[in-house]
Amino acid sequence: MDFDALISGLDRHTLDGITRGSIYALVALGYTMVYGVMKLINFAHSEVFMVGTWTVLGVYTVLGVTAGAGIGMVIAATLLALLAAMLASAGTALAVERIAYRPLRKKGAPPLIFLITGIGCSLVLVEIFGQVLRVVFGRPFGRVTVNIPSVLETKTVFTIPGLDLAVSNTRILIIVGAIVMMLALDTFVNKSRLGRGVRAVAQDADTASLMGVNRERVIMLVFVLGGAMAGVAALLYTVQYDITKFDIGFIIGLKAFTAAVLGGIGNLRGALVGGLFLGIVEVYASAIWDSSWTNVYAFVVLVVILMFRPTGLLGESLGKARA
Amino acid sequence: MIRSTKTWQAVALTAVAGLALSACGTTDTGGSAGGDEGGADCNFKIAAMGALSGPNASIVVPSVDGAQLALDQWDGGDCEVTLERFDTEGDPAKATPVATQIAGDESFIGVIGGAFSGETRATKTIYQDGGIPMISQSATATDLTQDDPVEVFHRLVPYDDYQGAAIAKYLLDEVGATKVFVVDNSEAYGEPLADRVEETLGDSMVARDKTEVGQTDFAPTISKMETAEPDAIMYGGYIAEAAPLLKQIRDAGIDAPFIGGDGLYGADFGNAVGEAGEGAVVMCPCAPIEGDSTFAADFEEAYGGAPGAYAAEGFDAMTIFLKALEDGARTRAEVQEFVSGYTGDGLSKSIAFDENGDVPQDQVSYWAYKNEGGTLTPEVEVKPEG
Repeated sequence: MDFDALISGLDRHTLDGITRGSIYALVALGYTMVYGVMKLINFAHSEVFMVGTWTVLGVYTVLGVTAGAGIGMVIAATLLALLAAMLASAGTALAVERIAYRPLRKKGAPPLIFLITGIGCSLVLVEIFGQVLRVVFGRPFGRVTVNIPSVLETKTVFTIPGLDLAVSNTRILIIVGAIVMMLALDTFVNKSRLGRGVRAVAQDADTASLMGVNRERVIMLVFVLGGAMAGVAALLYTVQYDITKFDIGFIIGLKAFTAAVLGGIGNLRGALVGGLFLGIVEVYASAIWDSSWTNVYAFVVLVVILMFRPTGLLGESLGKARA
Repeated sequence: MIRSTKTWQAVALTAVAGLALSACGTTDTGGSAGGDEGGADCNFKIAAMGALSGPNASIVVPSVDGAQLALDQWDGGDCEVTLERFDTEGDPAKATPVATQIAGDESFIGVIGGAFSGETRATKTIYQDGGIPMISQSATATDLTQDDPVEVFHRLVPYDDYQGAAIAKYLLDEVGATKVFVVDNSEAYGEPLADRVEETLGDSMVARDKTEVGQTDFAPTISKMETAEPDAIMYGGYIAEAAPLLKQIRDAGIDAPFIGGDGLYGADFGNAVGEAGEGAVVMCPCAPIEGDSTFAADFEEAYGGAPGAYAAEGFDAMTIFLKALEDGARTRAEVQEFVSGYTGDGLSKSIAFDENGDVPQDQVSYWAYKNEGGTLTPEVEVKPEG
């Protein structure tokens, strides 16, 4: 146990934790929204994120952009990659909904079947990227870690005076990007007409349909929105870590799901709180002990929190739309 | 809708039937290829078990190709020997059923592998129970032969005590390091290797951290490095995690020399680490192959590339099994007896197994390979002792 390592680098660890947590939070939105509306844990969501990271790589490859490009190209490439990743992830989420969940819903399958189907979809997508695409296209697909060009090169933008903490452009992008997207989504769900429909279905699906809300469209909407957020997370992830691989979504998906439960599943702001909390706890604990137990710290914290607040830090409430 | 249900049922049935049939098929071949039937009494199979796909495949595939080359060049007369490849992805959980299958099939008379230490530890008792001799081309964990040896296990590489010592010696003598930061991946290969490096470095190690397999975010480790300000970094683990770790180290502006063990000795290492890995050093108990053998040229002709990791060891392992057959060994027990008593000059080193299944450790030379422009180039030979 090395508490000195934690205290002496507290500022740096906090920044690391917020960076990690921002990405968890964005991915957590997909779990939380789908759960809020359908009471379903969409385990294929981790692969929705994975598809996003590959899309970023694809856009960079098509544009032929590499590290050290001019500032105009960097901005254009990053924005294009963001857009493409959002579209691809939203598309994947929608495809999973239409191909896998919708037929089940039509037949009134019990909840367990949905859960297993989600896990099945997740495996199918992983193996498509790990094996099928490798056979068809060869490298970079396959079960290997793939580098993504660090188009946005890490540079220190400013140093927090007094703490001597260097804050880089990539971290600013990740944290600000994540918070902006969450605020936008929160506003959308709470203020817009479509958002009201989402809340209505979350509160009481049957009554909502009697009131003229199209439930199927609301379900499609939450998959698309959750997918798009995972796409944003995918871009931010590649900006920070410069890699992807076929099963990259697994651990992140699991952590994001944990973050969603931690914050109160079905609650958008809970996803943010849960994500940041989880990220910071993981980094602090890894500093005190070491990274090989990261997953243990995460789940110990989850269990302890749920013992005292069984519905998570902020409670379950997509429908109640606390504002 | 009803129709589509039926289609699915049909598909499922076909799949199940297919599986059942293929399972029967395997058993049948196993039963009949066993020996005395047919023309020659020496139609046998040799299994190669290791990570043939995945991020660490480039450490294993060349050795299996080397074994295949030895087989292709062998003139066995009437004997028909085949090499069967079993992909474990280096995962002990996937290796166990593979080992059970191989041990249960009498037509296998030898195993080349396991390629990694974890899978070898998980499977060696299965092979021991089946009495089938193993020759590993690259499993280097010390305990495999030192703590709990089994009769059937042999290996052509020295164990990690020596590798750890060689890495430490390189750090002290060649790099002149006095503040080494040691990181490992907390599993069967990386952790003991790092332990040994720590032990040999003594006061020259400044800090130690543990990570895990599959990790991609090393931020906590990086901050510890920033505090410790090391003048060299040692990583015990495989390519899959070394690549993101090294990139994040360099991104953080830490430019201390980076060295890893033979878990990084694969052709993919250069690709995986990219520019961040320029100048990274990999220690390997594999000497560059000498010029007077045609092996390198033959290998290149057969597989379209220079011999990669442990290709010579794979070649040697197959050669020993083939010599056993030439010597008249026809059962697992006879092959086992021949292998245990084998002495001879191999491509990689001169071979003689001691009672634990190890090659004489003084026969071993370690080489530091430097990553230059994506290729591992031999830099200097390191003698772990003296």
